[in-house]
Amino acid sequence: MKRFGIVFGLAGAAAAWGQQAAPKPAAAAPVASHRDLEKRYPPLKEVKIPEVVTHTLPNGLRLYLVEDHTLPIIRGHALIRAGNLFDPADKVGLADLTGAVLRTGGTVSKTGDQLDQELERMAASVEAGIGETSANANFFALRENLDQVLAIYADVVMHPAFRQDKIDLHKNQTRSVISRRNDEPDEIVRREFGDLVYGKDNPYGWRIEYEHLDRIQKADLERFYRRHFFPANVMLSVYGDFSPAEMKQKLEAVFREWNNQQEPVPPFPAVTHKAKAGTYLVTKDDVNQTNLRLGHLGGILKDEDYPALEVMADILGGGGFRSRLVARVRSKLGYAYSVGARWGANYGHPGLFLATAGTKSNSTVKAIQAIQEEIARLRKEPVSDAELRTAKETVVNSFVFNFDTKPKTLNRMLVYEYWGYPKDFIFQYKKKLEGVTAADVLRVAQKYLKPEEMVLVAVGKPADFDSPLDTLGRAVTPLAITIPQPKQERAQTDDKSLSAGKAVLAKAQKAAGGADKLASLKDVTVALRAQLSGPMGNMAVEQKVRLIYPSTLRQENTLPFGKLDVYTDGKGGWMKHPQGQMPIPGPQLQQSRGEMFRMTETLLLSDRDPARTVNFVKKDKVGEREAEVIEIASKEGDQVTVFVDAQSGQILKKQYRGMAMAGPASTVEETYEDFREVSGVRVPFKVTIFQNEKKFSEMTVSEVQYNTGLKADELAKP
Amino acid sequence: MPAAAQDLKAFEKTVTDFTLANGLRFLVVERHDAPVVSFHTYVDAGSVDDPKGATGMAHMFEHMAFKGTEKIGSKNWADEKKALEAVDRAFDALRAERNKARQADKKKIEELDKAFKSAVEKAGELVETDEFSRIIEQSGGVGLNASTSADRTNYFYNLPSNRVELWFYLESERFLRPVYREFYKERDVVREERRMRTESNPVGKLVEVFLTTAFNAHPYGQPGVGWPDDVENFSIADADAFYRKYYVPSAMTIALVGDVDPKEMRRMAETYFARLPKRPVAPPVLTQEPEQPGERRLEVESQAQPVILVGYRKPSQYDKDRAVFDVIQSVLAGGRTSWLYKELVRDKQLALAAGGFPGFPGEKYPGMFLFYAFPNSGKTVAENEAAMYTLIEKLKTEKVDQETLDMVKTKNRAELIQKLERNAGLADLMAAYQGVFGDWRQLFHELDEINRVTADDVQRVAKQYFTKKNRTVGWLVQAGK
Repeated sequence: MKRFGIVFGLAGAAAAWGQQAAPKPAAAAPVASHRDLEKRYPPLKEVKIPEVVTHTLPNGLRLYLVEDHTLPIIRGHALIRAGNLFDPADKVGLADLTGAVLRTGGTVSKTGDQLDQELERMAASVEAGIGETSANANFFALRENLDQVLAIYADVVMHPAFRQDKIDLHKNQTRSVISRRNDEPDEIVRREFGDLVYGKDNPYGWRIEYEHLDRIQKADLERFYRRHFFPANVMLSVYGDFSPAEMKQKLEAVFREWNNQQEPVPPFPAVTHKAKAGTYLVTKDDVNQTNLRLGHLGGILKDEDYPALEVMADILGGGGFRSRLVARVRSKLGYAYSVGARWGANYGHPGLFLATAGTKSNSTVKAIQAIQEEIARLRKEPVSDAELRTAKETVVNSFVFNFDTKPKTLNRMLVYEYWGYPKDFIFQYKKKLEGVTAADVLRVAQKYLKPEEMVLVAVGKPADFDSPLDTLGRAVTPLAITIPQPKQERAQTDDKSLSAGKAVLAKAQKAAGGADKLASLKDVTVALRAQLSGPMGNMAVEQKVRLIYPSTLRQENTLPFGKLDVYTDGKGGWMKHPQGQMPIPGPQLQQSRGEMFRMTETLLLSDRDPARTVNFVKKDKVGEREAEVIEIASKEGDQVTVFVDAQSGQILKKQYRGMAMAGPASTVEETYEDFREVSGVRVPFKVTIFQNEKKFSEMTVSEVQYNTGLKADELAKP
Repeated sequence: MPAAAQDLKAFEKTVTDFTLANGLRFLVVERHDAPVVSFHTYVDAGSVDDPKGATGMAHMFEHMAFKGTEKIGSKNWADEKKALEAVDRAFDALRAERNKARQADKKKIEELDKAFKSAVEKAGELVETDEFSRIIEQSGGVGLNASTSADRTNYFYNLPSNRVELWFYLESERFLRPVYREFYKERDVVREERRMRTESNPVGKLVEVFLTTAFNAHPYGQPGVGWPDDVENFSIADADAFYRKYYVPSAMTIALVGDVDPKEMRRMAETYFARLPKRPVAPPVLTQEPEQPGERRLEVESQAQPVILVGYRKPSQYDKDRAVFDVIQSVLAGGRTSWLYKELVRDKQLALAAGGFPGFPGEKYPGMFLFYAFPNSGKTVAENEAAMYTLIEKLKTEKVDQETLDMVKTKNRAELIQKLERNAGLADLMAAYQGVFGDWRQLFHELDEINRVTADDVQRVAKQYFTKKNRTVGWLVQAGK
């Protein structure tokens, strides 16, 4: 016993000596210079690389587990091979929508709202998303809720329901995002530059537009999900307060039933576009600062020259304050707050080399010139020893931060495996970087930076520029950024369809009372009550309409908060409300003209107007009734689709594009019921209006009178 | 750390707390998972302390704190010192003439301006540009940055743990003897920052006008980045006066989190920071915003899509009801089960995003609880505004149910645990809570306070503060809409 005690005692003493001996004690007085410190930093302790337990489930799902009992939490992160690069060309946004609704749309057994409630009760989360080159599904749980959260997580991943209401919600939100994409200048410059360099004719440069959203259906989401979410395509990392054996068991159990099998996902498309070098200008006249991007395609991380390119880009305009661009354009010249450059490299496809800056309008050209001069200088002379040393030491000395948290290290492991990079890639990179010389930097600057291939995009107010942009030596191409409204799809038009359309119209004329009868109508007075159901709740409106065909209209509305009168003669008019009177605003005028175009009594006489086409589209069903569908269009661009009862000739439904104040226009449908005869004309006494398939208004007509001798000047009097 | 680390008792064991004779407080939290350290310096001064006519000064000084010292940032201090003195003299002469206003001699101003610019160029030639930052980054520093808000200024970065002494040296030197080199150029940089954040940014513009409308007397209404003319008239003397008044050790708190030995940290703190002279704490802002006599409304026209802000005046963070406002924030705006999300985003689809939070623009003095919404396209700010009020009224008339309150409490517990995850985040919180409340333990006590909030409290506070008279409403709209 004593013997052991002495041994322990010695060992203990040795350990104590060891602790004392390690670092040199700090000076009692402050150092005179930071350089003095360099000489006496103790060696950096070794970083503990966490142990990652890997395991593949029978169905192919790969697990990566890291135990950590520091905090009573568990995080899971699934990396799935999918991406918006797989969007079909006519349905850009499918991946984004699928990723979002995977979670929000709920599962087969629970709605998304139910999941929200359950998860938030536990302060847990399950989220999913699909980006450009990967999809992910994550969870966070407090230790005590692990089993419940895992069950929800697996349910979401394996049995998403993609409920329609959440598809519609996300589509609606995406439409709003689209409508906002020109609000911030730095978003404009980032998007336009990227699209120009990557090309707008391929997935790298596609962007989501309203027309894509209109086309995407639930079946598309289900298909995209099934094709990409299968166990052999999933790498799941879990980290936190558990034992690997326990977690392995739980995950195996919870994912056991997942047996979706698919062909391996194809590789992502290659970048093949050759950008057109040049100067591009987006005019934004409400800013006093120009946002700039200048550059071309970059490379990938695996490039042999990547380490040298990193050093080069760091010296030119790297993050932090040590770069040439920051020193010159920001600190010395004061032209910019935000300025920099980067050699963009991704794992699988080239990134973007770019120099960026935000500068006041009247130093725009000067700032661009300063940037171009710095790029030229980099290609002409070798960088200084001091700069080289700074760039390399910055990476080498901060290397430990690549491993400062376990999740970071774990995540890197998965990413390397996902892209087929060697496990020790980051160490290889460090080694290569340590060997980069000034000659290497010069060589890669000359080889890879190509001023003559550069794309320059400027977003700003050219009227305030210090000099015109073409002073830089290249012609300027203006870029239009107006967000395209979805194209109205038009049916095929030929002699056959036109004559078929005419025949349907004739049927409808007869059912309405006959073409001659309709042509004899001079005016109409209608009284109705409309029950509106909008976002503000329900509202009843009493409406009196007096119309002299074809386009003199007086509408008197009694709303809960007062009277609203509108008058138009098709070209102008006025609007009167409790606060006063004003000329009829543009949108209201357009709305009235649309209404008058679609008015049945004159619409049915479209065959008498040479400037209109009546085209047969297809056969369809409205409820239980067979319908013949025709499209009536005017030369001015008005268009309406009319569904005519194939048997009776009665108009069942009209469909048209609603008004768009901002953002995309809605699809409006009017249906007709309770037809009665008034002066030989068959008139519907109940009209229901739907906007994007939601009921918007239910109109009950109380009175219709034709040819009462209305006078235009009476209608025009406020 | 033991499993129940969100327990104060367990966490406390990892914290060493000491104050130097000059009043500078240090918090050291030991974490040996990785050989790294996060540093955070909290200064109890912000843009609320900007002098009248010199708005943006707190933010400007923050920029200056990266310009170095006599030993760092200079090619030759003896020469540079003289050159900077010459700049000061030239500036004084120029300003003296300018201040004659209508009696000023235009030609003389032109000459003096030319001389001043030339003095600035000369001094600029002696600058070792951005050496301070370069040293940090070259030594392996990451996340180097600073921020100025209404109430406070923060300086932070991270280093490998074997280079901790570098931080002690640099951080003490920068606040001991700042040198205002490149001051006049830096004004241009700050002007660009203002163009980026406010003048060319629709929401930034809205926020600025919103604050000036909401706060007439109290400096919370002043823009942190400063009014352009104030910035263009800054002088070094002004900046130095601000620094001397506000950067005093007893108004500063420093947190170090990571792979450190607390005894060694204490030794280095004494060695380097004891040099900072003890100075009296500056007085607080005494001007109070008078009670609002009625609702305030404002509009900013923009080409951008609409945005709405609704702010209700609320007491400062020292008020007894602070935790109640946190609960209200969770109920109304915390996540997919929150009222604003369910009603405005999910069900009525009025908004692309809607939320709210207390503590706008700051909390040291009475501020605001701010609600916001980004209307969906085709929807209006008016519709969103009305929908927000419906929910706020509901908060006053219906008691929040127990399930909701329980959810709030669970969420706060989970958030506290997550706050302990990252060194840098923890350093920020420790320094801030210590500086603001005088006790870092408040980070944990807050959870208890939230747990004690009742449904009656929520109703009472909503009734008292969320009234029409007490609010300011800001619309960002397109012209003619």
